[in-house]
This record gives sequence, C-alpha cells and structure tokens, in this order.
Amino acid sequence: MSVYRSKAEGTNRFHEDLYGDDCACDSQESGYETNNYQSAPAYYENGFNSNFFGDTSVVQEGDEFSYMEQESAEVIWVKESCNITVTSTDTQIGASLQAALQLAIAIVIRLSIGDSADGEEVEQELMQTIISSQVNKQKIFIYNTKDAKVTTTDTDIAINIQLLLQLLVALVIMIDIL
Amino acid sequence: MMSESSKKPMMPNKVIEVMVDSIFRKNGVKPEEVKDNLSEKQREMLKEMVADLKEQVEEFQQKRNESKSE
Repeated sequence: MSVYRSKAEGTNRFHEDLYGDDCACDSQESGYETNNYQSAPAYYENGFNSNFFGDTSVVQEGDEFSYMEQESAEVIWVKESCNITVTSTDTQIGASLQAALQLAIAIVIRLSIGDSADGEEVEQELMQTIISSQVNKQKIFIYNTKDAKVTTTDTDIAINIQLLLQLLVALVIMIDIL
Repeated sequence: MMSESSKKPMMPNKVIEVMVDSIFRKNGVKPEEVKDNLSEKQREMLKEMVADLKEQVEEFQQKRNESKSE
C-alpha cells in the first residue's frame, strides 16, 4: 500500500502513465496492468475502512430488545403497455392478519403473565425466536410490453402467519385456555 | 382439525411447544400459577379470539393455495 500511496495523489496521472506506456511497448503492458489491479482495491479498502466500517460498529450498538419491524409493500407500474394481467396475492390481508396474531399473542401474555414484571420480556423473547425483523418490498415495472401475465406472492408473510398461529395455539394450550 | 392434517405445518408443533416452555422456564413463569390470573370470562374471550384467528388463517392459506394452483 505504501508503494501505491506515492502514486495515489493523482489517479488520473497514473492512468495516463499506463496508457502512455501501452502504446510504446507491448511487453510492459502486463506489468502495468497487474500493478493497477492490485493497488486499486487497496486504495478503496483504505477509504472504506475509515467511513464504512467505522459507522457500522456504531449502528450495531443498539439494544436487542427491538420490537419486530415488518413491512410489506408492493408497487407495480405498468407503463406504455397493453393486455397486462396482474395477479397480486392479497398482501394486505396477510399483513393485517399477521398484525392481529401478534396482537393476540401479546394480549394472551399480558393477561396471564402481565402482572409479573417478566411479561414483556417473555413476549419479546417469544416473538423474537419466531421472526426476525424483515422488510419485504416488491417493485415491478412493466414497460413497453404486450400480453404479459404477472403473478406476485409474499411467501414470507404466509410463513410468518403460520408460525404465529402455531405459537398462539401453543401458548394458549400451555396456560390451559383451550 | 381436519385442515390441520391436510396442511403440514413447516414448523412442528412440538418444537414450538418446547420453545414456549423453555422461555417460560427461563423467566420463571409457571403455567399452573399463570392460569389463576385469568377469570372465567377472560378465558372465554381468549378462547373465542384464538378460534377466530385460526379460522382466518385457514381461510388465508386456502386462498393462497387456490391462487397457486391456478
């Protein structure tokens, strides 16, 4: 890296050197090429070290008891096209159903364990093991197309719903409601 | 009950059960004691809520399967 730094002040000049020599002599070309490829990543890496990795360590510092964050969005743009059939599985219903299940689990826990201080922690722990935070966004652009059929499904939400229901039922059985 | 056998859950119920149990244990929650926190009326309400949600989920899955097979 230290070798590169001496040249780093002018990357443009470096390239000029490279191309200049290219014309003059073919045998030297390969030598310059490897030099270029090897040192370039080192230079960028240096740049990322100070900006990128420094920031990430700060961001990750947050506490782990974050609530679940879920998003499901769908955008479909149809432009300058005709005869487009779009079948979109009801993401909205899935999302609200998922929210309802989460709420139900929270209610069951709050009613049963609520008065002891652990209620909230139990709730978070249960949810966390099942689902981690996830964002599901779909964007579809259809442009200048004729006679196309597009089908979209949100598999994640279906799985989540299934798992949440299982969790709710297990919970309710355990505290002897069902 | 019928639908439970027809659609295989991707996560075995036993796994969920053990997980819930372990989390209860870890936080010192005893199911026997927790039971007494609920009144008969609350119990009934929760029961209805779960049954209702179960029905909705089944309906949702069914719709999904239908659109998939089309």
